[in-house]
Amino acid sequence: MATPGRTARPRVAVVKFASCDGCQLTILDLEDQLLEIVSRFDIVEFPEATSRRSPGPYDLVFVEGSISAPEHLDAIKELRKQARILVAIGACATSGGIQALRNWSNHDAFQAAVYEHPEWIESLATATPISDHVKVDAELRGCPIDPGQLSELLTAVLVGRRPQIRDEAVCRECKRKGIVCLVVASGEACMGPVTTSGCGALCPTYDRGCYGCFGPRANANAKSWSTGLLKSGRPPEEVWRLFAGFTGYAEPFRTTLTELGKSKG
Amino acid sequence: MITSPAPSQTAAARQWFLARHDLGALVEAIRDTGRRVIGPTIRENAIVYDEVQSAADLPAGWRDEQTAGRYRLEHSNDDRAFGYTVGPTSWKRFTFPPNLTIATAHKTTNIGFEQPVPDVPPVAFLGVRACEIAALAVQDRVFLGSQFTDEDFRARRSAAFIVAVQCTTCSSTCFCTSMGTGPEVRGGYDILLTEIEDGFVIQSGSPDGAAIVAKLPTRRPSHAEAGAAVDNVEAVRTQMGEPLPMAGIGERLKLQLDHPRWVQVADRCVECGNCTMSCPTCFCTSVVEKSDLDGKSSTTERQWDSCFDVAFAKVAGGDFRARPRDRYRQWLTHKFSTWWDQFGSSGCVGCGRCITWCPVKIDVREELAAIAPPIPPVIKPVAVEPVAASPGTYSIARLASMRAETEDTTTLSLTDVDPAFLSGRPGQFVMIALPAFPAVPISISRFRSNGIDLTIRAVGATSTALDNLHPGARVGLRGPLGTFWPIEEAYGRHAVVVAGGVGLSPLHGLVDALVANHDRFESVSLFYGTRTPEDRLFRDDLTAWSASKSIDVAVTVDRAGPEWKGRVGVVTTLFDMISWDCTKVTAFVVGPERMMQASVQGLISKGVPADRICVSMERHMECGIGLCGHCQMAGRFVCKDGPVFRLDDLGDMFNREGI
Amino acid sequence: MHARTMDDYVAVIAMLNHTWFGAELSPETQERLVKLGEIQDFETDEVILHEGDDAREMGILISGRIALRTLVPERGPVTILSVEPGDIFGWSAVLADTQAQSTVVATEPSRALVIEGTHLRAALKEDHALAASLYPRVLKAVARRLRATRLQLLDLFAR
Repeated sequence: MATPGRTARPRVAVVKFASCDGCQLTILDLEDQLLEIVSRFDIVEFPEATSRRSPGPYDLVFVEGSISAPEHLDAIKELRKQARILVAIGACATSGGIQALRNWSNHDAFQAAVYEHPEWIESLATATPISDHVKVDAELRGCPIDPGQLSELLTAVLVGRRPQIRDEAVCRECKRKGIVCLVVASGEACMGPVTTSGCGALCPTYDRGCYGCFGPRANANAKSWSTGLLKSGRPPEEVWRLFAGFTGYAEPFRTTLTELGKSKG
Repeated sequence: MITSPAPSQTAAARQWFLARHDLGALVEAIRDTGRRVIGPTIRENAIVYDEVQSAADLPAGWRDEQTAGRYRLEHSNDDRAFGYTVGPTSWKRFTFPPNLTIATAHKTTNIGFEQPVPDVPPVAFLGVRACEIAALAVQDRVFLGSQFTDEDFRARRSAAFIVAVQCTTCSSTCFCTSMGTGPEVRGGYDILLTEIEDGFVIQSGSPDGAAIVAKLPTRRPSHAEAGAAVDNVEAVRTQMGEPLPMAGIGERLKLQLDHPRWVQVADRCVECGNCTMSCPTCFCTSVVEKSDLDGKSSTTERQWDSCFDVAFAKVAGGDFRARPRDRYRQWLTHKFSTWWDQFGSSGCVGCGRCITWCPVKIDVREELAAIAPPIPPVIKPVAVEPVAASPGTYSIARLASMRAETEDTTTLSLTDVDPAFLSGRPGQFVMIALPAFPAVPISISRFRSNGIDLTIRAVGATSTALDNLHPGARVGLRGPLGTFWPIEEAYGRHAVVVAGGVGLSPLHGLVDALVANHDRFESVSLFYGTRTPEDRLFRDDLTAWSASKSIDVAVTVDRAGPEWKGRVGVVTTLFDMISWDCTKVTAFVVGPERMMQASVQGLISKGVPADRICVSMERHMECGIGLCGHCQMAGRFVCKDGPVFRLDDLGDMFNREGI
Repeated sequence: MHARTMDDYVAVIAMLNHTWFGAELSPETQERLVKLGEIQDFETDEVILHEGDDAREMGILISGRIALRTLVPERGPVTILSVEPGDIFGWSAVLADTQAQSTVVATEPSRALVIEGTHLRAALKEDHALAASLYPRVLKAVARRLRATRLQLLDLFAR
């Protein structure tokens, strides 16, 4: 692993499954720190950024994308064997992403409706997060992930501590920043109370309710939130759409959607 | 309640009138002293606190409509500059910032930590309401009130020039009157404004404030203007409606830690933390380390956190508050109950932000009313299930020891008693009998772990016989019978026991209970009067109680010989010693009827409410269970409906002759 | 101790302020009273006045306790009332030609502002403001005595 004559830098791989590559781009977006990162990490595999290829083992693997196609199933298992630390990054990898919305539908019917030769398409009926298949050591949520949290994770790996990634509602970030609550002051629909923070309350900063792209908080009371949205006069279809976004397949959003699905018919 | 700072003099001599169009001069005058002015201004559909450059930035002509989970701004019919209440931001944002670097660290061959020196430019807070002044005072106690202080807070607090504004309107979520924090502003400001029709009544509260006011184009207010200022604030009190019963909420909540409502409210709560973030007194924080990639230099940043955080109470071994109901209960009980124990005041100032800004519309006022309602003043004393109730059946007890209290009064300590007697309550009595002697009613004077005491005056056949017993003898008991002293009615109040002669006997157990639970009461006092010093009962206990810090004892006798150095005079003279607010007294009175009447009159004339006076009546009893008819008094059976009665239940039957 | 200097006056007026009798009297009245009387200290069991004596002095008790005693045939001296700090004793001194109703004895070390009877009566006659302040208070003290006496009587006969 170590290049003789140099202190061993952690070998890093960035791998994608079914995804848009936005999270990988976020790594590259750490412009100011990129040189330092590259000097401290040995990035040996990163198709988005370099043609360099390297087989495992790796010290640190960032996995983007959901498991969506048959060939992904073996690939992720092999990747896990090669990775000392495996970090799932982004909504797709941590919750299944937008692709996971198909999990509530008839996959075969979709295929047949869209493709002339559906038998040529290799696709799984469900799109699932990495953690459904292998043990994941850490997660960075978001669509895309937050550069600050990424930086914190990299620092933590180097310094040798647990990353300080909080699991709190987006509301905290709004309030710390002094953003006026859209729900209370404008009656907007917002998923902030049940979504984990990390984005710096990006959408509320621009007067738009939270999309929930960082996924549900641990123990989020999605039931109370959806009930409240329905009670405020929103039809079930609208509430469904609020939960069925980037991270709808993660619990407790998943159960909420299933319940809502029954009522929306 | 919050204890407000000392009232500022509002003598007309120190008030001035500032015309509406001159409000800008105030802002300018403050800015001219080099201070940034932070005041109310509209941003993102709400009135927040942010920097204002001039009076034009103030939301004149706007009002707010607030209910649980809803805040809307609308135009008002006038051009008032302060015709709204508080918004989502509180002054805590500026005294206790959401993000603050509190340390820097570096690591070379050694390690070092530095604490940044607070660099706080002078600033003015314009538009501080009464509840917010109270909130600042609460923060003062939290951050500066103990041996460990927050110097950053101190610097920011000292750098802030306070222009307070008295509210002339309130929202449906305001409840400052219930928390004793408003609507009047009492001190804690440099300048105070009260808005009236054409402008403001303005006064200074400090030399700095006076210096600014002196620069303004003011004149003396007319009598009508000064009156309007007072009226406009008074009107808020009316608009806010009946205050909530917050007296003793701290104690009441402590009794309800297992109330089922905690689960119900937790089912609704989404734990977003908006209540804690918008609350002007919540102070929980966490720290985050931000370092460079190799950890050689880092900063420690303190951030607002919330006890609703799932991991707030986690340690390596587990989570102390694992369930949402635990976390909700922590927040509410800290705010309204344990804050008192920690800082000597309530943590809540009644600003209503937690109600307005809760996205699931939880209203703490409703939750408190459901979880810890006030102890109802009407407690119908309920009798405990007695044993051997019917005449003819008796439970046998053994006389363990006797003690002579006075020449004709003896205390019998009984043991081997049925457990029912041990769970009786002070004020109740037993029917006690010996073969060949009719049963007589005797109050239980003391409850012990293994028995009860009866204090008996030898006046008749049975009582004399009882007096002549020896330890080891057996007696027959029925009971415990009758109603008992409602000690709960004195929680949070001054508990006053007034006893005359042998009347101390049915009160002895009550005094024991009051002393044992003394921290539940504002104070505990015993006033005891007897004819002569020799008639005093329980002299050892009197000495012990007199020495105790938990109870104040005053003893007087009607007449005495020269060797008595204590007070001489009837027991009502002791009431002259009372200096507290008598509307907060709960009194328990027993003695000869004349003494009870005089005492009750004395207490009422001092202001003790009739529904807070309890007496114990004595009547002839043969059966003790309301079947022989002897003990009737104005339609009540003293044995069953009494012997303890609330004075307002008896009404003027109490004093009446021949009833 | 005679209040001679300004400091003495101030100290005595402060003491007077703590009594229910003296507090809330106007500062002028307080000063007048203090100048009329003198602070006296009594030891335990010291007799201040004997029952039947001419009513020579009125006292405002500042600290300690004073017993009012009367001699009851076949009983000996009986204390019928104790005077607590703030209250007065020897109220009869405001009236001329009266005798002390009871013996006045200190039951513990006590201190009082004692005002000589003739001086007091003369002052009350000529200083109307003083009279207007003092008489109601003396009346109140007497009324309290009466009330207490009545209750004692009722009690005695109700046995």
